[in-house]
Amino acid sequence: MDIVAMHIPDGYLGPQTYVVLWIVMIPIWVVAARKVKRTLKTKQIPLLALGAAFSFVIMMFNVPVLGGSTGHAVGATLIAIVLGPWAAVIAVSIALVIQALLFGDGGITAIAANCFNMAVVIPFVGYYLYRLVAGDAPSSSRRVVSSGVAAYVAIVAGAICAGFEFGIQPYIAHTASGQALYAPYKLDVAVPAMALEHLLFFGWVEAIVTMGVVAALARTEPALLETKPAAKPLRWLWAGIGVLILFTPIGALAPGTAWGEWGGEELDSLVGYVPTNLEKLGGLWKAGMPDYATPGVSNTLLGYLIAAVVGTVLVVGVTWGVGALLARGRGDDDDAASRSTAPTVPTG
Amino acid sequence: MSAPCPCCQADIAPAVHRRGGGRSLARKTADSVGHAVTDVLQNEELAARPGLLQGLDPRVKLLTLLLFAVAASLVHSVWLLVALIALTMALAAASLVGVGSFARRVWASAGLLAFLVALPSALSWFTPGQVVVSLGPLSFTEPGLMGVATLVARVAAAAGFAILVIWTMRWTDLLRALSAMHMPDVVVATLAMTHRQILTLLRTVEQIHLARESRTLTRGTTRENRAWVTERMAFVMRKSMKTADDVYDAMLSRGFTGAMPSLVRLRTRPRDWMWAAASVALCVAIVIADRAVGP
Repeated sequence: MDIVAMHIPDGYLGPQTYVVLWIVMIPIWVVAARKVKRTLKTKQIPLLALGAAFSFVIMMFNVPVLGGSTGHAVGATLIAIVLGPWAAVIAVSIALVIQALLFGDGGITAIAANCFNMAVVIPFVGYYLYRLVAGDAPSSSRRVVSSGVAAYVAIVAGAICAGFEFGIQPYIAHTASGQALYAPYKLDVAVPAMALEHLLFFGWVEAIVTMGVVAALARTEPALLETKPAAKPLRWLWAGIGVLILFTPIGALAPGTAWGEWGGEELDSLVGYVPTNLEKLGGLWKAGMPDYATPGVSNTLLGYLIAAVVGTVLVVGVTWGVGALLARGRGDDDDAASRSTAPTVPTG
Repeated sequence: MSAPCPCCQADIAPAVHRRGGGRSLARKTADSVGHAVTDVLQNEELAARPGLLQGLDPRVKLLTLLLFAVAASLVHSVWLLVALIALTMALAAASLVGVGSFARRVWASAGLLAFLVALPSALSWFTPGQVVVSLGPLSFTEPGLMGVATLVARVAAAAGFAILVIWTMRWTDLLRALSAMHMPDVVVATLAMTHRQILTLLRTVEQIHLARESRTLTRGTTRENRAWVTERMAFVMRKSMKTADDVYDAMLSRGFTGAMPSLVRLRTRPRDWMWAAASVALCVAIVIADRAVGP
């Protein structure tokens, strides 16, 4: 069976990390089970089982991307859009447990870590971003675009979490001589490496799959995409973003520059010279907040926090605007059918 | 080899004669799905053999093999990790699952990937230290190579214990063990149903791709293939949701109340307790020895 890029095997994470993630995941599973039981009653078993089976099977499809290359999708955002985020937590977790216990994909000690990255981060980021971009009564074209944006951002968020878990291992466990005992790459390599492969490849696979399936469902089974307006649909998204912003100063832990993001001076010290074109083009653009420092703020941690808030506002604003423009460009006239059917699946 | 189309009996051109050669996308997916189904059936066959681990109580086996996997994550000495790998091989031999295929599975599923991912970390750029191997501009340091060896050994040892769980325990026994260990009924029932539905959906996906393969003479463009794949995914999702409704109706009509009673009562025997005691003692001894010798 092919390996999907984000499954962490046993041995890469030390006990200080995987035990903490088990402690984090157990209450999340309990809350998810209660919420799902309240909304789905006894129907939860077949619905979650089929959701989990679909989550497993979707990872088996080879999706053509570019130039003959193919990739696999996780599908967690798609499942969150159809079943709701809490049901997606259970369905994707069960799929991951079966992958670990039946096929050996992903480690047993790392089940909680894999569930956190793929069954919590991706469904919640994906679902609430989808709701944010799509709005309360979206047209089918806006739904499609929103689902693609949500799936892309969500899988990158999951990958960054996995990169973070890998990247903290050398700080937590190493010998006196510097020998790594678990995942060997520090934050400045692990996070960009995981983020880049998902930004450049797996994110697009996820977006293509989610958009394609949402478009097909909007045509053939629009009721599956209907969502009940939640009382405060964006509450959890903003809470999650707030927590992530609070954690941004952790970036100060990583010394040096992220791998591959060196400036002229750093390259000079690393390899002894600066490539001519890099020197020529390096000063072309002056960043408003270089190295995530806020002009006029001397405190590094406060500067990180302000940079995180500014970045978040910009990303959310641009995503919202682009989503609205794209949806308008594709026409809003085909949404009547998708709104006409009552929801069959309650959401979280 | 050509095959007649089931609906019109027309002779279908075989995939290997297509322009461009190699496997088509549909054949590639059908093959990987077929392998997944074969793996599940093979696991059941291995778990039925009269070996050492197959004869243990499922609860004891699950907990002790997990304990060994946790011990592997606690050990820092590469030599003790190699000893744990040797233990997994010995258990594979005693459980009659084939040491060669066991070693290949461990290496293919975990060890090789760990080696390829970790090897660059041994370069002096990432791990400073005494250079022991130089290949042109690439210099590998001693702590870097020891770090790679430790990671690969740990991943192989942990994967070995996980594969022993998979290869020596029937899925139904695993569910019984979880149920006996007070896992909520809803979780056990969902796991049981998911396993069954995965096999059903995998068979559906395989048939969808084989049907595509047998009815297509050209490879199609990337765009066409992508549209076809996502349409099929949507079909599988609709089928999943409809099946969930049908299964729910069937459960209600049979008087399902949410309880998951089992006709088989698990009983531990003296050899289960002896195995459990020996496993705990060995794990504790390994961790103490590791702390004594250091990495």
